[in-house]
Amino acid sequence: MSAEFEHSASSLAPTYYDALRRLTLELAGVNLGANHAFLIETRLARLARREGFKSLDAMVNELFQTGGSRLAVQVVSALMERDTHFFKDKSSFKRLREVVLPDLHRKRGGGRVRLLSFGCASGQEAYGMAMTVHDMRKQLDGLKIDIVGVDYPSQALDRARAGRYTHFDVQRGLPIKSLIEHFDPVDSDWVIKDHIRNRVEFRDIHLLSKLDSLDQFHAVMFCGSLPHYSAPARVRVLRGLAGLVKEHGYLILGDGEHLNQMNFGFDRVGRETGIYTKREIIIEPEIDPSLKVSNGRTTFEKTKKKRSSLN
Amino acid sequence: MKTCLIVDDSRMIRRVAGRILKDLGFETSEAINGQDALDKCLVDMPHAILVDWAMPVMDGYDFVKQLRLLPGGDKPTVVFCTSVRDVERIVEALAAGADEYIMKPFDSDIIESKFALAGLV
Repeated sequence: MSAEFEHSASSLAPTYYDALRRLTLELAGVNLGANHAFLIETRLARLARREGFKSLDAMVNELFQTGGSRLAVQVVSALMERDTHFFKDKSSFKRLREVVLPDLHRKRGGGRVRLLSFGCASGQEAYGMAMTVHDMRKQLDGLKIDIVGVDYPSQALDRARAGRYTHFDVQRGLPIKSLIEHFDPVDSDWVIKDHIRNRVEFRDIHLLSKLDSLDQFHAVMFCGSLPHYSAPARVRVLRGLAGLVKEHGYLILGDGEHLNQMNFGFDRVGRETGIYTKREIIIEPEIDPSLKVSNGRTTFEKTKKKRSSLN
Repeated sequence: MKTCLIVDDSRMIRRVAGRILKDLGFETSEAINGQDALDKCLVDMPHAILVDWAMPVMDGYDFVKQLRLLPGGDKPTVVFCTSVRDVERIVEALAAGADEYIMKPFDSDIIESKFALAGLV
């Protein structure tokens, strides 16, 4: 493979578009939509150049001829990169600030709390959560908060880990006071300061895979992605999220997003849409067949699991 | 309709910013330096002011300080729009009375975002 990238050959054969859309749907459950040819080419050309391919066609040829899973994940991750910015979902951050964090502080006092940014892309949401926590530090006195951001391995996630953003990134959604408090200018970019960076850990993970390795969280933010998933993938991802949220913990969706008919074990918080609490799991004990009463019916009492899930 | 005074010695910047602000629903007017802007504010105080830092006659920093001393000068939302990106200078601009701060080059997304943060859109 040559380091010289052929820009003139960065246009894909039309049949590849459908194949790439199918690949993204199969691997990640995300519908790319029909009119994304330019977006596909721009994002994949960047990846092809970084991976050392001579042209975009050369990379896509190799993808479909050899079926390499690493390259497939890289391609799909690049195609799914979202245009995001700081505090993009304003109402979600309002819910975090006004409902979730005060409630967790009330319940947990001086304990430790874990928050998750699910599908964190280039990290603005996770760092936004850390800035919110920092700004509320007096109100949340004693609460230790860890924040994890997860997404597919991608260039976006690399940017999140670096915590380095362009002049344009930091001017969309971020108040100037937050910029000068939480970032340092480095060359033409802005780099997140350690007091925010040290609160956040990023992990790459397949969002539709088993998520047990992540353990559970007291609140999960999952904003802006749900509408892009196919119906089966939506069920799968929400089922996965249901396992990630602790009992009485919170799921925060993006502006205008909500759970439809299936609730996945979540209840709405008051009349609000877009914020849910995980229902308490009621464990029914196994029935001992020898426990017979005179009327011949087996009886038992539902035993509620101790309300210690948030401990 | 909300009004915005665009203060910049570059005609091109005034034109580009004016087009973006009109799309955001503002009625715009222009001034070519801080003194010109102060004169215009004395006649008609706008809802918002987008102001450059480095300008001849009176710079944006002195303009904002003097604006805030005028009767009704505390009312307009002031957004700096400048190539100056030193943190110390940004702090000075905020201390002088600026509400938000845009670093050039800018695009329509940045202006919209900053005006939204300042409660203008």
